[in-house]
Amino acid sequence: MFTEPFMQRALLAALFLTPLCALLGVFVTARRLAFFSDTISHGTLAGVALAFWWGWSDPTVPMVLFSLLMAAAILWLKEHTELLTDTIMALLLSGSVSLAMILFSFLKSYRGEVHRFLFGDILAVGAGEVVAAGVLLAVVGTGLFYRLSDLSLVTAQEDLAHVCGIRVRRLNYLFSLVLTLTVAMSIRLMGIILVSSLLVIPAAAARNLSRNLRQHLVGSVGVGVLSGLSGTMLSYELDAPCGPTIVMAAISCFVMTLVVSGLAGRRFKGMRHSA
Amino acid sequence: MSVACPVCAAVDLAIEARGVEVLLGDRQVLRGVDLIVPRGEVVALIGPNGAGKTTLLRSLIGLVPRTAGRIRLLGEDDLDRALPRIGYVPQRLVVERNFILSAREFLAIRLRRTRGWFWQSHKSIDACFGEELERLGVSSLLDLPLAALSGGQLQRVLIAFSLLGRPELLLLDEPTNGVDQPGEKTFYELIGEVHRRHRLTVVLVSHDLSMVYRQATWVYALNGVVCCQGPVDEVMNTDSLKLAYGTHVSPYHHQHVH
Repeated sequence: MFTEPFMQRALLAALFLTPLCALLGVFVTARRLAFFSDTISHGTLAGVALAFWWGWSDPTVPMVLFSLLMAAAILWLKEHTELLTDTIMALLLSGSVSLAMILFSFLKSYRGEVHRFLFGDILAVGAGEVVAAGVLLAVVGTGLFYRLSDLSLVTAQEDLAHVCGIRVRRLNYLFSLVLTLTVAMSIRLMGIILVSSLLVIPAAAARNLSRNLRQHLVGSVGVGVLSGLSGTMLSYELDAPCGPTIVMAAISCFVMTLVVSGLAGRRFKGMRHSA
Repeated sequence: MSVACPVCAAVDLAIEARGVEVLLGDRQVLRGVDLIVPRGEVVALIGPNGAGKTTLLRSLIGLVPRTAGRIRLLGEDDLDRALPRIGYVPQRLVVERNFILSAREFLAIRLRRTRGWFWQSHKSIDACFGEELERLGVSSLLDLPLAALSGGQLQRVLIAFSLLGRPELLLLDEPTNGVDQPGEKTFYELIGEVHRRHRLTVVLVSHDLSMVYRQATWVYALNGVVCCQGPVDEVMNTDSLKLAYGTHVSPYHHQHVH
């Protein structure tokens, strides 16, 4: 399996994207941005449809553009209307998916393609995407650890962050931008529907066993990489779609950490009673 | 030529705010407030709900935009230059339950030497904190996530956070919110102690007039405007409180009843 070029690309992509998503996921879950990332990933489907409409075979660029467009639309509407963020995102998500599906209905020859974008396609990961994912991991990983204190404080309490001289608005926009690009890059592997699970599940699994942020970040990356690599290999062995297999691997990790934390909790409780 | 106020010119001022006006939505919360705080004082802002106490505090440090007025903090017109010398304890820290920042990690963010806490051992981080945390009763809480702390514990951690920055000016917003009665007294003793030891200027917002009576040296009674101000004994014993609170006021400072 490791000699096949497409598998090498898929495994490398998983190796680059899962730690990236796992790191961001810790902050995504704390800041309740899971729906934000879902909306952005669904928005890219309209980019795919438009790319095919124009006769482009590689929709990567329009996908990234549409993800940025969605993020900008969410943030703009949030600032310039009284609407709740949930409402804005539900509106944009359904709007962009509807637009995409109408366009696809005109493109009869591409109908089978929708499925590959919705659930991810191991064969679709190109060399360019692997390089882009690697660069993104290097840049975002470095930036995140460089600004970890700032990001942590903004997540814990924005007013305090302001008083400590952190440019809160700028950092929030930067985080949204990084999250958007990461989501857009992860879609070929994970699929539009499942991409936010790569952000949420590793963070949730690690949360069960962590007592501070450092443990949470390390654990989340561990769970992410483990489920990314094992899921990709399993999908090859079982000839199953890649995204769903990775998700199932991550969910297995989550269940395990839940059981372990439950057992540990019971032991602590027992100790407290006996004391 | 403008004539400088002789008092202001002579005294070193921590806060010099003049004609501050703030609009929140359609409501003019502050209608031209002057707040003058000399260095080393403990000044209490009192007033009924919606009087603009919190808004005034927040406007001082740029958390609320003002529509008019001039603010000078610690002799600086530029807020960015004054901010590093200011400690702020917000009304309540709504801690996201999913975000498990431990108290140690949270406090480490405040110090330049421990901003890379992710790569440092707990021991070396704690060594940078110094003895202050012990006095504040925070050193036993360092391993706990912020979300797991009780209201009183969290308040102590927040005070510790602002003191680690060696502030010259400490702004406290309703510091007893969410703290139970027995905890409250020690909390204010703590403020008094911190004030004496660090010689810093403290501005606190409070509903609790008995607390104001015990700790503050100067009181501003606020209700959209400054209704009255003066030394604690004067303000707390005059009819001027009625101006701020309305007619049915009972300043309960438990004078020698016990």
